[in-house]
Amino acid sequence: MTVTERPAVSEVSAPTRTRVPPWRNPWRRPYVLAAITWAYILWSLVPVLIAIQFSFNDGRSRSTWQGFSLQWYCCNEGSVFEDPSMLHSLRNSLILGIATVLVATPLGVALAMGLTRWRSRASGVANGIALIPLVTPEIVVGSALYLVFVNLYQFVPLGRPAMLLGHVTFSVSYVLVIVRSRLLSIGGEYEEAARDLGANSLQGIRTILLPLLMPAVFASAMIVFAASLDDFVVSQFLFGSAENETVPILLYNSVRASPTPALNALATILLVGTFLALILTVLVLKARRRGSDESALETLADWG
Amino acid sequence: MSFDPNDPALRRRRPRPQLARRDVLRGGLWVTVGLGAAPLLSACGDSGSSGQAANGGAPYPLARPDQPVTLAIKDSNAPIGDGLEPEEGGTFNILNYAQYMAPAVMKNFGKEHNVSVEVTPYNNYDEMLAKIRQPGESFDLVFPGPSVLSKMVFTDLVQPLNHSYLPHLKNLWPEYQDPWYDRGARYTVPYTIYGTGVMYRADRVKSVPEVGYDLLWDKAYAGKVYLLDDRQEAIGMSLLRNDITGDVNTADAADIQKATDSLIELIDLVNVKTDVNAYSEVPEGTATVHQCWSGDPIAGQYYLPKGETPEVLGYWRPESPADYVIGSDNIAIPKSAAKPVLAHMLINDLLDNKIGLDNFGWNGYQPPLTKLSAKYLTDNGYIPENLSNSVVVRGDFEQGHTFYEVSPSTEALWQTDWARFKAGA
Amino acid sequence: MPDRPSGHDRATRRLWPTLALPGTLWLIALFVVPTYAVMAVAFSGQINIFNEPIPAWNPLDWEFSTFTTVVTDSFTPSGVYHEVWVRTAIYSFWALVICVSIGYPVAYYTARLAGRRRGLILALILAPWWINYITRMLAWINLLQDDGYVNKALGWFGIPPHAWLSGSSFTVVWALAYGYLPYFIIPLFASLDRIDERLLEASRDLGVGTVRTFLHVTLPLSRMGLITALVITALPMAGDYYTNTIVSGSPNTNMVGNQIELFLLEGPQKNIGAGLVLLLSLVLMFFMFYYLILTQRASREATR
Repeated sequence: MTVTERPAVSEVSAPTRTRVPPWRNPWRRPYVLAAITWAYILWSLVPVLIAIQFSFNDGRSRSTWQGFSLQWYCCNEGSVFEDPSMLHSLRNSLILGIATVLVATPLGVALAMGLTRWRSRASGVANGIALIPLVTPEIVVGSALYLVFVNLYQFVPLGRPAMLLGHVTFSVSYVLVIVRSRLLSIGGEYEEAARDLGANSLQGIRTILLPLLMPAVFASAMIVFAASLDDFVVSQFLFGSAENETVPILLYNSVRASPTPALNALATILLVGTFLALILTVLVLKARRRGSDESALETLADWG
Repeated sequence: MSFDPNDPALRRRRPRPQLARRDVLRGGLWVTVGLGAAPLLSACGDSGSSGQAANGGAPYPLARPDQPVTLAIKDSNAPIGDGLEPEEGGTFNILNYAQYMAPAVMKNFGKEHNVSVEVTPYNNYDEMLAKIRQPGESFDLVFPGPSVLSKMVFTDLVQPLNHSYLPHLKNLWPEYQDPWYDRGARYTVPYTIYGTGVMYRADRVKSVPEVGYDLLWDKAYAGKVYLLDDRQEAIGMSLLRNDITGDVNTADAADIQKATDSLIELIDLVNVKTDVNAYSEVPEGTATVHQCWSGDPIAGQYYLPKGETPEVLGYWRPESPADYVIGSDNIAIPKSAAKPVLAHMLINDLLDNKIGLDNFGWNGYQPPLTKLSAKYLTDNGYIPENLSNSVVVRGDFEQGHTFYEVSPSTEALWQTDWARFKAGA
Repeated sequence: MPDRPSGHDRATRRLWPTLALPGTLWLIALFVVPTYAVMAVAFSGQINIFNEPIPAWNPLDWEFSTFTTVVTDSFTPSGVYHEVWVRTAIYSFWALVICVSIGYPVAYYTARLAGRRRGLILALILAPWWINYITRMLAWINLLQDDGYVNKALGWFGIPPHAWLSGSSFTVVWALAYGYLPYFIIPLFASLDRIDERLLEASRDLGVGTVRTFLHVTLPLSRMGLITALVITALPMAGDYYTNTIVSGSPNTNMVGNQIELFLLEGPQKNIGAGLVLLLSLVLMFFMFYYLILTQRASREATR
């Protein structure tokens, strides 16, 4: 056979794609992981949706659907709007949340800026102290604060003042972590450039650093708000009397004692309020960072 | 007047949600193991009472049913004068258990005297004492029990009553116009009385044994058995049921331990849980057998689901009054009250038969008013026939067991054993 | 960054500590001092007439007998609290196992494989952060009641109804996992997100299979995130008491937090409560310090 002879066309098989079994194909669709993720999401959120559903129940049961009705929201006796303790608790939760944000955010941002840029051994210690509240069990934080307000800082009465101080204490750590990670990723070049152009440090902070940090500041404000609204243990130790109850305390106290769907309604109201605040923040974030390639959600999520 | 359990005005309510954690405060400072004498009690004022001998060194009188106490009236803490005008306007602050007074009663009082009535609740006497002592706080009414009264009088937390404002005192049982913990009703009048028994679902319990506490140990009801979440009531019940001792205030560590061991059996035997919500759980069917206070079955009528009648509820209490565990809550006026005259008037109102009856209709716990006997309450539809034994009668008060003030070390014994029970099997 | 000694720089150097000062002072006053207050109460030997422990502020007055009893009762098998500590550890362990088993795949999928739906999935995973913890437990009470949806669903398969809310360890462990999973997933997500895709591609280009890529590349790179997630979840979980109270009323599922609540909130032995708090902190401190050291190291690397 001569080398120049080519085999007949029919004898050459077309190049076939080798069929790799699915489990060997690294580029296949991740069915299993996707399934797990969606199953988790359903497991995580559907119970809450059902709880919301039962807040519209026409009847006292929280496990048997008896028809649609707004009776638990308004204006029957037993509904949220007719129950002064529930309305009080909503008001307390919201006021406390807003006040906590207003105090904790500046405190935490200043702390984050100070600790990140300050290089000395003292800063390491301060850093450590600031992170501990994040990992301390709430019962330790709550009971320690309770003991100190009762025995040492007696000029601070239990109730709103003590709760505010308690909430801010653990919130500062959240702000610190979020803003710090953003600061670290920003780096020092912008401030150096500002300094080269003649600005002093304060001006540098005001005109360069703060605007760059705004997404992180907003994200941390949102998280502080949510954490304060959600807080149970510290509030339970420090609330003193029923007029200072927040929604979680009221729910907890009522859960085992003949609860009605009014509890579900209260929880739903709080949930809707929180989500509205969240959407508002995300919109503000979107407006501010037009052009950046990070989505607002990722800003929120990316603090670990 | 016929009583309609479905009356919407008598709304469903949560009586004494965390009553369990009440009691306590049997403290006083007397020298015990490891505790030094507190400098706070340097002033050993005159207590003018009998019973010093059994005091064990307490600086104030420890009342016992067989050692009654007349609380002293000090010059520094005199009652208000006679014939004063009631205060008007502002807020009238009541320090009480949560949901323990009918909103209608409070609203009517507020309207009549042009004040807004507010309730600050507490879950136990520790909380109550912390609140009443908070500087800057002023409450017009407070509800202490016999176990904490002496201490409050000694530390000037309550003021003596002026009986000229309380003509309705005569409506009370005579025993309560002159109780053992407060002879002459100098500082308190009773608010409610109650006993401790067992509430059960009559439609699920086949037969009630002679010692009804045995229902709690019956495996047939496993998973639906509840104890009161109150260490005294639970351990005390075990002491009585197991015939360990007749003294429900015992300081004998071995006895307390035996009683607790018996309770610990329940954990594996019937998967027992602890709660103070018998009034809702038994009617709703979550519990078949629930240790409870006598007001629970009465309140429980409101929590029955649609279509069920009070016949499905049952209440057991020991036959003999001497075996019954009873207790009472009282009304007192704090020294810091801003409206003491109004406070007297509200107390007088609560002693009125009609208002007392309305209050009872709402919270289910009976006031010791002579007119409101078991027969009266049953005849007027407040209590169904099958639950008529939930009414406390005068004989019970005279002979029943009661929890009184004990030393901190005794309390510590009870608490430690209760923690042992709560730690699981 | 070249060092530029100048007056300008000195002002800068003073600026950062000044910024950090308010936050640091706050945390000292409301975190460090309360911790000391816990010790002062735990080591106090006296109570006043109202059964409140008189804190021993001066270390020379400290009296260790109560605390020693607490420690021995906790660590000897026949001690009062021993069972509770063991149970807490077991519940936390299993809840963490569930968290890792569900949380890691979800975080991995969301971070790397979600494609177009990533924003949506992220939003859904973040949603529980804004929902009150007590509300989420409330939702489960609805479902787990004897006549709730879960038992009804079981009924379709002919399985008899189960008493989920009646002292069941299974319920408590899964409730803990349900409650803390959202907090677990986020740090893990953040760290998985940061892994450079090119590293994984390189590994596959080198012929390493999917599983081994995961084990040798992804897992080590996400180690920091995993540890953060574990610490942030495990430590608060160890002090949890309200989950147990809500989903189970039985002494058989009591955790350390419940014992602390029992002693601290009423009765004459609040120093035992404080002692238990102290012991819990000490036990967890080991993990807290380990975490802090790791974060310090990581942040130092990031700022170099």
